Amino acid sequence: MNTSEAIDTLQALVHATDGGEPVVLATVVRTRGSTPRKEGARMVVGREGILAGTVGGGCGEGQVLEAAGEVLADGRTRTVEVDLTEDLLTLSPAVCGGILEVRVERVDPS
Amino acid sequence: MTPHLDAAGAARRILDARETEVGVASLLVLDGPNQGARRLVFADGHAEGAMDDAELASALDELGGRFLKGELSAGRRGRDAGTHQVEPPGSDSVPVYAEVYLPPVTLLIVGAGHLALPLTRMGRLLGYRVIVLDDRPDFARSERFPDAESVRLVDFQAPFAQVEIDRTTHVLLVTRGHQYDYECLRRLLLLDEPPEYVGMIGSRRRVRATFHQLREEGISVEDLERVRAPVGLDLGAETPEEIAVAVAAELVLFRRGGTGRPLIEVEGVARRFFGNKEEG
Repeated sequence: MNTSEAIDTLQALVHATDGGEPVVLATVVRTRGSTPRKEGARMVVGREGILAGTVGGGCGEGQVLEAAGEVLADGRTRTVEVDLTEDLLTLSPAVCGGILEVRVERVDPS
Repeated sequence: MTPHLDAAGAARRILDARETEVGVASLLVLDGPNQGARRLVFADGHAEGAMDDAELASALDELGGRFLKGELSAGRRGRDAGTHQVEPPGSDSVPVYAEVYLPPVTLLIVGAGHLALPLTRMGRLLGYRVIVLDDRPDFARSERFPDAESVRLVDFQAPFAQVEIDRTTHVLLVTRGHQYDYECLRRLLLLDEPPEYVGMIGSRRRVRATFHQLREEGISVEDLERVRAPVGLDLGAETPEEIAVAVAAELVLFRRGGTGRPLIEVEGVARRFFGNKEEG
């Protein structure tokens, strides 16, 4: 069963592209180890920032947002590997462990 | 042939399918010459999203069909998303990311009292289509339950007369009195295909009294053991909101299959990694 978040992100995608705005869809397609979110987590990012969803809050989301900015500019789909294991023995607030593979693609208005 | 699908087009079709309650599997090719191609496979048997490679299209249709029939889970531990390798005949295997959207499961809340209010909100948040029943006109009002799909005034002598119940339905019995729980539970257990999840609120005493009556009617102990009563995890909850959290937690546990124990006990990080080695 799909949570209301999964439906919200689909609606955000349709809404933004209907409104003529290109947006970026970031989707967790694979995970290894202990990650804050699993496959299926996604977020929709517009020029002003996140429009809906999350791929894991503090843990690696900054890296995905940075990639989203690049993809919004050049339109080239890429897969971002967010490695949360490196931070494991630091006191960074983003300590989670595990690796997320996030597919980041631009979605243009039709 | 349907046109190529982009993410927004696929999202629109998935939302349409949700409206009409048709299951759909969304498949996205992650690598190889068809990277980025999307295919939607619907439970009514048709598929959308043009593919340049017919062999790949039929391999995707087969994979999607298996998700929709429940033969294969899209992700680990029954998750509804994950990446699979697909091997079309005569070409290299390609990774395919799959998401499965099944029509929402119905959460039927029987009893529209104080507890039904937070239960309805939480049920909606968890993705259920929530239906609330009561026999009191003052309580069974849709204004009280903005998150419910419908609120119905029923007679507890025939509470499910106008409600479709099947094996997938989740039912919570939270009526105001044990005689109503009894009437409703009895009818649920006598269905040809009883719902897979039936929870009933109540103290040990109230549950026992209800079960006692049902035993007198010839309901088997085996059937009674499948009833989740008292419903909810043992959180020490007291207020309606807290009790709703305990019940919602059990619904998540049922769906995802965790242990229901605090993670601190399951993981035991301090003990496992920093405990006294000589003792341990």
